[in-house]
Amino acid sequence: MPYIIVDNLVKKYGELTAVDHISFTVEKGEIFGLLGPNGAGKSTTLNVITTLTDFDKGEVIIDGMDIRRDKSSIKQLIGMVPQDIAIYDHLNAFENVKFFASLYGLRGNKLIQNSKEALEFVGLSDKMKLQPKKMSGGMKRRLNIACGIAHNPQLIVMDEPTVGVDTQSREHILNSIKLLRDRGATVIYTSHYMQEVEEICDRIAIIDKGKMIACGTEPELVSMVTDVMSVYVETKIPIGFDRDAFCRKIKLMPGIKGIKLEDSVIRVDISIDQNSIERIIQEVINYELPINNIKSEVPNLDTLFLTLTGRELR
Amino acid sequence: MFEIILKETKDFLRDRSNVFFFLIFPVLLVFLLGNLLSNLDKAEEAIGEVKIHYMVEAENVVDIMTIEGFVSEVSDEQNIFFDKTTDLEASKDNVENGNIASIVVFTGNPLEIQIYEGIDRIKNRTINSIINGFSQVNKAVNVIIKSNPMSIMDSMNSKASNDVFIKQKDLGIQRTMLDYYAITMISMLSFMCIMLGTMCFMGERQNNTIYRLKIAPINQVKLFLAKILGLLPQVVLQMTILMTVSVLVFGAKYSSNMFDNLYLFFMFLVVTFTVILIGAVIGLFVKKNPSVITFPIIWVMMFLSGTYSKEVFIDGVTQKMPIYQIQEAAFDLVIFGRYDRVNTVIIICSSISLIMLIIGAIGFSRRGEQ
Repeated sequence: MPYIIVDNLVKKYGELTAVDHISFTVEKGEIFGLLGPNGAGKSTTLNVITTLTDFDKGEVIIDGMDIRRDKSSIKQLIGMVPQDIAIYDHLNAFENVKFFASLYGLRGNKLIQNSKEALEFVGLSDKMKLQPKKMSGGMKRRLNIACGIAHNPQLIVMDEPTVGVDTQSREHILNSIKLLRDRGATVIYTSHYMQEVEEICDRIAIIDKGKMIACGTEPELVSMVTDVMSVYVETKIPIGFDRDAFCRKIKLMPGIKGIKLEDSVIRVDISIDQNSIERIIQEVINYELPINNIKSEVPNLDTLFLTLTGRELR
Repeated sequence: MFEIILKETKDFLRDRSNVFFFLIFPVLLVFLLGNLLSNLDKAEEAIGEVKIHYMVEAENVVDIMTIEGFVSEVSDEQNIFFDKTTDLEASKDNVENGNIASIVVFTGNPLEIQIYEGIDRIKNRTINSIINGFSQVNKAVNVIIKSNPMSIMDSMNSKASNDVFIKQKDLGIQRTMLDYYAITMISMLSFMCIMLGTMCFMGERQNNTIYRLKIAPINQVKLFLAKILGLLPQVVLQMTILMTVSVLVFGAKYSSNMFDNLYLFFMFLVVTFTVILIGAVIGLFVKKNPSVITFPIIWVMMFLSGTYSKEVFIDGVTQKMPIYQIQEAAFDLVIFGRYDRVNTVIIICSSISLIMLIIGAIGFSRRGEQ
């Protein structure tokens, strides 16, 4: 039996349906990724799983327990790392971790030991006495994680834990999450950074506008778009360039799945069986755009998202 | 629960703005208001000897004993002299001639006090103050009969003099503005604690820690209560500092009796707990800066209650202010040693606290965070 079963989950805020009949399962010891743009419904789904928010329809089972009936038992299993840093500025790192762990019934030496271990785990063992206001963004993020894991939860829910952190801290956080999984914890991880999800998640669900549009392992998901390749044309788009007209023209070509324009790169997703590279290049030349480089790439989650929704992930 | 209380205390004490706003600011106010305004209350001339004739026409034995006890206690060998008289007319002549300051006649059942005032304004005020204290303790009816013809005309033409006399909040015997503000500043501190209440959950929301608290496997009612109780050590600390500093540093007087002082402390603690709970419930339901709503209301109520100036008294409005009633109860206790109003305050506040606790606990446990 899966460790987590989310079945036909619906959550509405007034007229807005934040989560619209989402279903998925998570196995024990798995890192499960929820991928989607901002406002897709990832955080709302997590809030339901963590018992923070009630839901309108559906069923959520965690470790064989119904979330509505066994709320307090389920709470005991969960460790939450919220999207926004949730720590007290006037308590030092150790006091923060110790306080949150104490809410889970830890006392005495066990409480102190676990708090120290959690700080060590996130690489803050030498910053125990430091108050968060004197910490960098990355250190705060790591402390945020330590506060959510000090009580050794079986299920760790992480809502975009790497937002706004430097590369070094991000690497540390991602490695820590893998380590938590190796220790036996089940992790639900949300992000809108595709690379992160690809790197650490065993399975991924892609959510958009409250609906689940795909779910599976990375190869399974990518296989859904194996007939698509991405073409990157490095150029320089001048100020005042009519981007809309250019995009419309490209989209009229056969086999075009999506197009994205940045200042120096034009990315076009095209069907492999209807190779339109030549026509795309010709169009770029027609628009008098300089071509500095051309390259193609095999599909990834970003391609999948663009293909399924017609929009970029970020 | 202990962990939460400890956390709240640390969080409070390490926030410098809190330390200033809740610990230093009230003490400074006591100092400033007490010292600056006490100069306004100082006599510009010496009172001198105050000779009073008194006559006892009351028949109730208990009343007579009370009067004699009072007279003997108030008379001192320095400047207040009470002499018993049986000849009212002769004493009136002495008042008119300025030989004595006034005549006080204790008469009737229930006890009524008639004061035949002399021509010296300062001495009249002194005697009024003394007799007013007695009448408040014994609930006697004061009737001031002026022997000064001009005063009699004033009394006849204007009802205001009696009204003012009866309704004016008296400082009691040998009490100063500093003593007055020592009490009202505790009252102010108590009601300012509504901010602690409103910020209690708003702070958690701003820190985003409310999410962690809400998903923690502890009883939400217990959590709500712990959050509120966690604020109490700060309140105890604030009031202790305020009372101690105002007594030891500025020489303010509360009650001469230690038990009464402790009882006063307890009353304000109960009041503060209630205020915090009301604030917490407001903060629970009003998510966008509830202090913006609560603070102006509290400040206006304090103003109308005479917290900032004892001269502020709007008939029909001031008496309806809870802050005024609480201050009156405190004065009743420290000046006259009466417990009735203090007990009433404690009972009413306890009842409100219980209701707020139930509303807050239910609201907190049922309310989701988005």
